[in-house]
Amino acid sequence: MDFDLREFVHRHQPNFPIRRIGRLVTDTTDFTSIGYGDVIRLGDVHYLVLRDEAERRFSIEDFKFWVKRCTTLETRQPAILKLVFHEEFTQRIGPLSIRSFRSETKEARILDLVRDDPRFMQGFSLRDEAGNLVRVLDIIRGKRLDMAIYNLPGTHREYFDTDLYAMLVRFISACEAIKFLHDNGERHGDVRRDHLWLESGTGTARWIDFDYAYEAHANPYALDLFGLGNVLLFITGKQIFTPREFAHMDGADRIVEDDHSLIFRNRLVNLRRLFPYIPEELNRVLMHFAAGSEVFYETVDEFLTDLRPCLDLVPQPKEEA
Amino acid sequence: MNFKKILLAVDASDNAMRAVEYVGDIAGDCAGFSVELLCIERLPHRDLYPDEEAWKKACEATRTELRKFLNRARDHLVGMGVSLDRLTEQYVTSCASPFDEPGPACSQGTGTAQEILNALDAGGFGTVVVGRRGVSKAEEFLFGSVSNKIIHSVKNSTVWVVA
Repeated sequence: MDFDLREFVHRHQPNFPIRRIGRLVTDTTDFTSIGYGDVIRLGDVHYLVLRDEAERRFSIEDFKFWVKRCTTLETRQPAILKLVFHEEFTQRIGPLSIRSFRSETKEARILDLVRDDPRFMQGFSLRDEAGNLVRVLDIIRGKRLDMAIYNLPGTHREYFDTDLYAMLVRFISACEAIKFLHDNGERHGDVRRDHLWLESGTGTARWIDFDYAYEAHANPYALDLFGLGNVLLFITGKQIFTPREFAHMDGADRIVEDDHSLIFRNRLVNLRRLFPYIPEELNRVLMHFAAGSEVFYETVDEFLTDLRPCLDLVPQPKEEA
Repeated sequence: MNFKKILLAVDASDNAMRAVEYVGDIAGDCAGFSVELLCIERLPHRDLYPDEEAWKKACEATRTELRKFLNRARDHLVGMGVSLDRLTEQYVTSCASPFDEPGPACSQGTGTAQEILNALDAGGFGTVVVGRRGVSKAEEFLFGSVSNKIIHSVKNSTVWVVA
């Protein structure tokens, strides 16, 4: 019996316009041709494509044509399908470049490793009829941790007094999640503040996007650690401070070259120059990522050993009566 | 600790060859020295390749290059006066190798320096020699520095860093 796609979609999604129903796709190799209204079949499940996902960076919408926002027709649940796009590219990190790759096998492997671990996005992988390894991801209801922090009203001092503690608790849990990956011989590969999401309701910080791979033999986990340092810098400062932001602030006149990031030379790392109430111990953790540093963290354990005690030095939320 | 018992760690780089030449100069004509050439195999990550075949090919090429370098280094040392009975080799294969090769020990890929340090301890060497790439502080931070880690970690042995 022939499969009637229109009838099938209409039965499961009666509100979807029939004239927009496209093709049934079982081979996702040509992912750019798959668009709104197409249905991707993986195993016995059908995913109705709604749009390409986009990432917003530096105020620019960057469309990811290999990532499709879908509705699962059989369950009506939303899902994100990441199709195979094995690109090789050069990541620029400050003045340095790193030869990087997008690896579906790496991401699929990590999804298996972190199944049911709420500190990570969840999903599974399946091969389409052409053998492409497609990742089917749950959608995280929530917002990026950095945006959640940035949008908090009030001054840095108010943030420090009321919110930093809770953010650090979440961040430490997120660091432990990265340590779990490392303990299992895996690297996240793209630790950035927009890859850490704060789930609505639970407040759990969850990592997304594990598909970056690169060569790193001498210090295999350094890039992840570098990313954690950047996230901590944002969390502690409530934002990133470059000369444009701090030029007219009290304490700016005491800032020296060594106070900036070792890699991003316009980012201020020594936040105590601007905010002297930041505990010295917390600032010292940050300073491991500064231009003036002579000692670097090599493991998340070392990083956490210094960071955990800082929690006791940050104002804790008052218990409600 | 016998500083004349030398562990010479190499990959297939020019820096490693400079270290080989330096050891040859020092130990070649002198009595009492022994040299072990150590190569910790680093194969390309599987994740960097679209399929098994491409990965295996890259691994084969890397292994061939490392083996060739070891041969060249050995010949070089012999040519500089290190006799074969004072020269040994240790090629530590990668545990993540795509080739089926059971062995007593393999490299876990946890960091080249750490594996060199393990070999240093296990073999009771008095001297460890490495070449230095001469990286910037930023590069060292992001990509690591084998020589720096060895300098900071070695106890009870001599470290020669050949720049």
